[in-house]
Amino acid sequence: MIRGAWGRDPLLPRAFSLLSAGPGSSAEILAKTVGRGTALLERALPGAELDVLGPLGNSFPESRPDTVDLLVAGGVGLPPLYMVGATSAARGEVDRLEMLYGGRRAVDLVLLREMEAMRLPLFLTTESGELGQAGLVTKALEARLDHHRGKPVRILSCGPNPMLWAVARIARDRGVPCFLSLEEQMACGIGVCLGCAIPARSRPFRYVCSNGPVFDAADVLDVSEPPAPPAVCAS
Amino acid sequence: MSVRLEIETGRIAFRNPVLTASGTFGYGKEFESLTDLGALGGLVTKGISPKPRFGNSTPRICETASGMLNSIGLENVGVEGFERDKLPFLRACGTRVLVNFFGATFDEYIDCGARLDRLDGVDGLEMNVSCPNIKAGGIEFGTDPRVLRDLVRACREVIRKPLWIKLTPNTSDIVALARSCADAGADGLSIINTITGMAIDARTRKPKIATIFAGLSGPAIKPIALRMVYQVRRAGVPLPISGIGGIQDATDAIEFFLAGASTVQVGTQSFVDPDASGGIVRQLAERLTADGITDVRELIGALRVA
Repeated sequence: MIRGAWGRDPLLPRAFSLLSAGPGSSAEILAKTVGRGTALLERALPGAELDVLGPLGNSFPESRPDTVDLLVAGGVGLPPLYMVGATSAARGEVDRLEMLYGGRRAVDLVLLREMEAMRLPLFLTTESGELGQAGLVTKALEARLDHHRGKPVRILSCGPNPMLWAVARIARDRGVPCFLSLEEQMACGIGVCLGCAIPARSRPFRYVCSNGPVFDAADVLDVSEPPAPPAVCAS
Repeated sequence: MSVRLEIETGRIAFRNPVLTASGTFGYGKEFESLTDLGALGGLVTKGISPKPRFGNSTPRICETASGMLNSIGLENVGVEGFERDKLPFLRACGTRVLVNFFGATFDEYIDCGARLDRLDGVDGLEMNVSCPNIKAGGIEFGTDPRVLRDLVRACREVIRKPLWIKLTPNTSDIVALARSCADAGADGLSIINTITGMAIDARTRKPKIATIFAGLSGPAIKPIALRMVYQVRRAGVPLPISGIGGIQDATDAIEFFLAGASTVQVGTQSFVDPDASGGIVRQLAERLTADGITDVRELIGALRVA
């Protein structure tokens, strides 16, 4: 959770995934300006003080020697998967993964040079067709799953919700393990406000901040909201 | 010069007058590593109902100008779960513990209050009366002075611990509600709960919260909260007040003391800064020292009105 010295408005800290951590207590995030909070972050000058609470929540499962992890990133959902890629690269294990990275336009795909330098196997898609394969990243995913058919494969994904659910359905239909890093509105990041609830199979609700943000897709895909409790109170 | 922050109010002796508000501080343990719980005046737990409840549909929260809307649905672990899983930690946390509670019917309120009253380690109860009374067409228990008086009286009969009533601001006459609580034998008032509001996404044409209406909190509501605390104080309702609404720093807390509150509760600010309440305690001591005030009680109701 990150917040600048913004006074009373916007009020709440913003949740970000880490792009990189270290050396020491340094860390990087990737921010896309979508609202007032990110606009203020974009305008922050070098040396500006930010309040940071973290790291919070869980992470993607560790890589396995016999398994290929297909990292499926959409736009600004890249950071947690970039970190997985960088960790693997540092261990000399890039053969255990492939990075499938999609965006609307070429300008939405960032850090490509860095990922090439890590020698990550990259499969890019843009809806505009400007860069990589034309179309959605799910198309590239289907192609890579076809390529690896019969071998142990997992999917790790982060991006906009419609993309994540499409990825999770592909995984379910093919019986491939799939882990999603979800995003939700949250006020606190520590399991207190209970704002970032998502319906799940294992319990009526799970919380993106404290149970996630990474979930087994099978626990959260196509789960309908539980019936509203009796005597619904305003807050 | 030392500053006295201790205060005994609403039949509870506090180390200092800074408490954390219900629904914004979980069951305390969530903040264990983020603030010094023992330095707080007290904490008020998430609202407890007789049985566990899961919450409302999503989305449940959204940010608004200098505030936020929430419609969580009073999700909680229930009385049994609270006693088994949450209370052991709270007993040892080193601060006063008030348990917020509610029900869907008179009987549920009485049942819940009576069971919490028997628990060691609970210093007091705070009753949430902002729930809809299903039998009365869904109008909130806490908006009708007669219903509120009867509800508080019924709970008072089974509750020996200190009993505070958290008033809803969604009313045209906060004083009448406060008087009802005094008449029914309550020990204190918490003023205010969230203000009902809504937010709309102009692009999708949908409400931003699944339940459409939600509770507004944060600095946006502070002027309303101050006004209501002062109204109740000025009317001479003989109950101490715990002031709640948009408190972010020691200056905000002092404003509530001046309006007539003897303690304050920090709510939404704990989301912005988990150590907010601890910070206010430290700031308060510094501010009073700087201003030459030796006892925080000097401030209570000390508003200068011509």
